[in-house]
Amino acid sequence: MADILQILILGIALGGVYALMASGLTLIFGVMRIVNLAHPILIICGSFVTYWLFRLYGLDPIVSMPIAAVVLFCIGIVLYKLVFEREAANAKYSEMTVLLTFAVALVFDGLLGFLFSNTQRVTSPAYATEAIFIGDVFIPKGQLFAGIASLVVIAALVLFLQTTRFGAAIRATTQNRAAAQLMGVNVGLVSLVTFGIGVALAGAAGALVSFIFSFFPAKHWEWMAILMALVVLGGMGKLVGAVVGALVLSVIAAFVGAYVGSTWSTMTFFLALFVILLVRPQGLFGDKLEET
Amino acid sequence: MSIGMNVDDVVEARRRHNAVLAAEGRRKHSVAVPLGLLAILLVLPAIQMFGGYNYVLHLALYTFMYVAMASSWNILGGYTGYISLGHNVFFCIGGYFSGMILAYFGVSTLITAPLAGLAAAAVGFLVGLVTLRMRGPTFIISSIALLMVARILFDNWAFIGGANGVTLPQLALDATWMKVPYYYAMLVIAALAVWTSYKIKHSKFGLGLRAISQDEVKAESAGIDTRFYKVSAFAISAFFVGMAGAVWGEYITYLRPNIFLIILIAANMVLMCILGGKGTVAGPVVGAVLLIAFNEVFVATLGSSEINILGTGVIMVIVLLYFPNGIVGTLAQKRRLPRFLDWD
Repeated sequence: MADILQILILGIALGGVYALMASGLTLIFGVMRIVNLAHPILIICGSFVTYWLFRLYGLDPIVSMPIAAVVLFCIGIVLYKLVFEREAANAKYSEMTVLLTFAVALVFDGLLGFLFSNTQRVTSPAYATEAIFIGDVFIPKGQLFAGIASLVVIAALVLFLQTTRFGAAIRATTQNRAAAQLMGVNVGLVSLVTFGIGVALAGAAGALVSFIFSFFPAKHWEWMAILMALVVLGGMGKLVGAVVGALVLSVIAAFVGAYVGSTWSTMTFFLALFVILLVRPQGLFGDKLEET
Repeated sequence: MSIGMNVDDVVEARRRHNAVLAAEGRRKHSVAVPLGLLAILLVLPAIQMFGGYNYVLHLALYTFMYVAMASSWNILGGYTGYISLGHNVFFCIGGYFSGMILAYFGVSTLITAPLAGLAAAAVGFLVGLVTLRMRGPTFIISSIALLMVARILFDNWAFIGGANGVTLPQLALDATWMKVPYYYAMLVIAALAVWTSYKIKHSKFGLGLRAISQDEVKAESAGIDTRFYKVSAFAISAFFVGMAGAVWGEYITYLRPNIFLIILIAANMVLMCILGGKGTVAGPVVGAVLLIAFNEVFVATLGSSEINILGTGVIMVIVLLYFPNGIVGTLAQKRRLPRFLDWD
């Protein structure tokens, strides 16, 4: 029983981080219909920002979360202006846009690999190796703190979307871009800011990834498939869906990892992706993509 | 009155337009150029009699391999409009299928390559039955997931050497002629792939595929068995990639998952197709030649695979943003396509 509780807690803590990683992806898709394959490499960019802050100034990864977010927000704005502005105005899903994000992922992959080389890195704040014991159950502090930090950021995001005027504009654009525009929403600005926020969330997630997983630039291909499984399960473009999908899959993966083997734990996500897409051939993306 | 005038104008304009189209249709397609090119390439290994040109042969062979793979990818990605970012899975399957036969039974991959192609096509058919039920972004994502699944399986399957891979025996030839059998094998595969892509484009099957890429629902309601068409296209496009993988495995004398299952190979296939012009016959060939020349310059001057990935990405962004139809496609659209590139 303690075993099961143990695995459940670890799964949920990691699930929180997965949810943060997926939240930016799903937000961007909601507003701009862009499946951003560059999202995972931007997470790793965030990890690198955190890593160097930690190495050079000894800054705690959780403290440097906002810094990583701001840096990535700026990268996101530049990316949007350089590459995605035209695609966003299109506001329809197209294969070419997915390939464009794939190409951007290659650019960042190559650049980070060239600058920092593809070696495993990890930040090591003291709590990353400590744990809290409650009876027989132990909770690693690193994962616990990362999970809590993720949930705080997601809560802040939800609050922003639900209570502010700009959040309402983002939600309106997600629901119906044309109607939102007719109601006087500046959809161009909404797209720009949403893209920035989405990428900033990747940066924040990257800060947490830097101490609970080891990272290197080429790792993002694996993350890509994992994140897609999460958002597809929950329904692309839906924030709550991404959080639920992340928690569910993370817990399943934790159980598979404990009882079958750690190799198969990663496999859970990929197989889940196939199964979800098979059970609903149109995908949980819903009907919005069909009209392209 | 004026309405009558307008109708006449329209009829006249249409007649003129049809005349232009008919003139273009009558104009002979460039058959001489591809065949001439093939003839030159067939006698190229003779340069080995005058000295060591192994590098030239290697580069030509490498280009043939990518011509075969990009043309093959084009059948699915260009004609049918289903973008696969995990097509190197079939490269890997082909390589391991023939490579394992070579390792255990000593039969050269040059003989078993067609079987490897069939094995890849069979896997492609089965995978296609599942993944081609998805459309648009879901399919692309599933192709990346397929690549990840393959990587885990190949890395952990002890029978085929796991992540360490296996070493393959070499042909007993001296260094001068070492590359020649593989050269011809790749040349044949590339020629077959281009020929197949031409034949498909000019068949009812190809017409059906292009209808699917335009509008799948309409294609289905027009009586096209879209599922069968798509899955067949997937299997055919896996076939040549598998064959190329088989020959490549023996050529480099060892098999390891991280040679075959890296994303750069899949990215190259996609980029070559788009750079040249997806959905055209000559496009993948042009794209493969240009990109490999570019890569050689990059690696020779800067010598780093990370820079190579970066360069691939930058070219891809530029092409997608400014020439989404690729070189051949853009020229054809402007009716400036030179005869020697008009292979359609």
